Amino acid sequence: MNSLPSIAIPGQRLGSTATYFAGPGTHVHQNAVYASIAGPVVTDAAPPQTRSRPTLRVSRVTDTKHPSPSAATATTYKSKPRYNTLPAVDSIVLARVTRVQKRQATVSILVVLDESTSQPLDQSGAISDKEYMASLLTSAANPENHSNSDDLRFQALIRKEDVRAVEKDHVVMDEMFRVGDIVRGSVISLGDQSFYYITTARNDLGVFMARSEAGNMMFPVTWKEMRDPITGISESRKVARPF
Amino acid sequence: MADRRRINGPPAGTRPPVYASLKESKTGVSERTLRQRQPTELRKFYLKTGMIPTASGSSYLEFAPSAALAAARSNPKSLIPPSSALKVACTVHGPKPLPRSVPFSPNLLLTTHVKFAPFAARKRKGHVRDTTERDLGVHLETALRGAIIAERWPKSGLDITLTIVEAEDDRWWGDAPDSHDASWGMLNVLAGCITAASAAIADAHIDCLDLVSGGVAALVSDDASTAPRLVLDVDPAEHRSIQSACVVAYMPARDEITELWLKGDSSRAALEKSDGRTGHEALIDGAVDAARGANTILTDAVRESIARSFAQV
Repeated sequence: MNSLPSIAIPGQRLGSTATYFAGPGTHVHQNAVYASIAGPVVTDAAPPQTRSRPTLRVSRVTDTKHPSPSAATATTYKSKPRYNTLPAVDSIVLARVTRVQKRQATVSILVVLDESTSQPLDQSGAISDKEYMASLLTSAANPENHSNSDDLRFQALIRKEDVRAVEKDHVVMDEMFRVGDIVRGSVISLGDQSFYYITTARNDLGVFMARSEAGNMMFPVTWKEMRDPITGISESRKVARPF
Repeated sequence: MADRRRINGPPAGTRPPVYASLKESKTGVSERTLRQRQPTELRKFYLKTGMIPTASGSSYLEFAPSAALAAARSNPKSLIPPSSALKVACTVHGPKPLPRSVPFSPNLLLTTHVKFAPFAARKRKGHVRDTTERDLGVHLETALRGAIIAERWPKSGLDITLTIVEAEDDRWWGDAPDSHDASWGMLNVLAGCITAASAAIADAHIDCLDLVSGGVAALVSDDASTAPRLVLDVDPAEHRSIQSACVVAYMPARDEITELWLKGDSSRAALEKSDGRTGHEALIDGAVDAARGANTILTDAVRESIARSFAQV
């Protein structure tokens, strides 16, 4: 078997299914793994104890640690994420609350954090969620910013029983979310025709950016409280564990 | 259908008057330019992705102007360009959520729109989509649907919009429509649309089985006495009469055709004696060869697009 190409284009044969598993960005045709998107080819080695085959995938984001093919120096690049990944079950999303009702909150998904970005990268190139949000909200090239319409974003619901893991019966939605909060959530279901379902029932999930009634950015105080640094007034939220 | 909402130009008013003396002049101004290429030689074209920053994927395709057009530009003798060269811009928007009225779909829903700019052809096009534009949209959708892995994108839609900035001629501008006449230029436009859309889809990182490219072949007769011969990548303005033509959308990696459109009468064809193929088989094979040629450029354009997204820091 000849060596793998560094960059694959759709329809390019990458290897036999006898040697590799097909990962994201690839498909299998006649016992061979083919690329289905254009991008760098990544081989994920199988866990050593399982004696299984390595998984081939074609990366959707431009990888941070991958050197540019043209550059002579192997410098690392800050990734420029493409936001066209779909929410899937178990993916972590950032969403803005658009409506709070008695039994559920409606949110619109701003960005899907994929594995390469949701977990902290190496120390130098780490992108925190806040940086992510800043790039998301400010970039002029982002089509989301040209339209205020929520029709262009995927909609999701946080049901009352999915807000937190304890005392599920005593959840009051108004004390958990406010319209405009930015929430980190985990997708639990693709849902029906119009809504995904999201849960925040984990310590690291919940509201992580919010403005107070006075309009100031608040900081988290406890797992259910955020405080306005200027007026000093606390408001209740389902707070995500700050990093 | 009349477009009542806008103030349109006259429907066919942009063509300069052609005087009989000009057509019959001996200066060579209005001679039909004949094909200079070999029968299997394709025209060059330019293809680049990522030209439209607000779209998730985009591409621009432009055919090299014919030698006659280049000569006419440098040394204009007439207001009328002798031929035209295809120019197509393609944008891909999505995957985006489906509108509320659409029921749950486990697959990617593909919508294609092909629109001619009002000035794209010699006859002015209206703002409302006409039947040829709809027809091209349907053909393009079939061509792309076979290549896209739709089940990877549940609950989402993909909008592909192609703007034809300059279309191909259906015949030489000086010819009167005759019995063999059909919209031959449409086939070239469709082939260009397929190649451009494929590049834009790859630029948008939508999962595909392969890069699908379009190719055209035709049976042409330049004089009435001989049987029509097979040429690849036909420019209708260069031939007196086209007997039949074929466009395919072809995936070279798995040797599959996703779209096939044959027009005209392919029963008479000047093939070699040893060639056992019928006319339409030869025509389809020729179109596949043309699509293979286009695919080399498509592959390079996609590689270039990936290299560029790396270079962006």
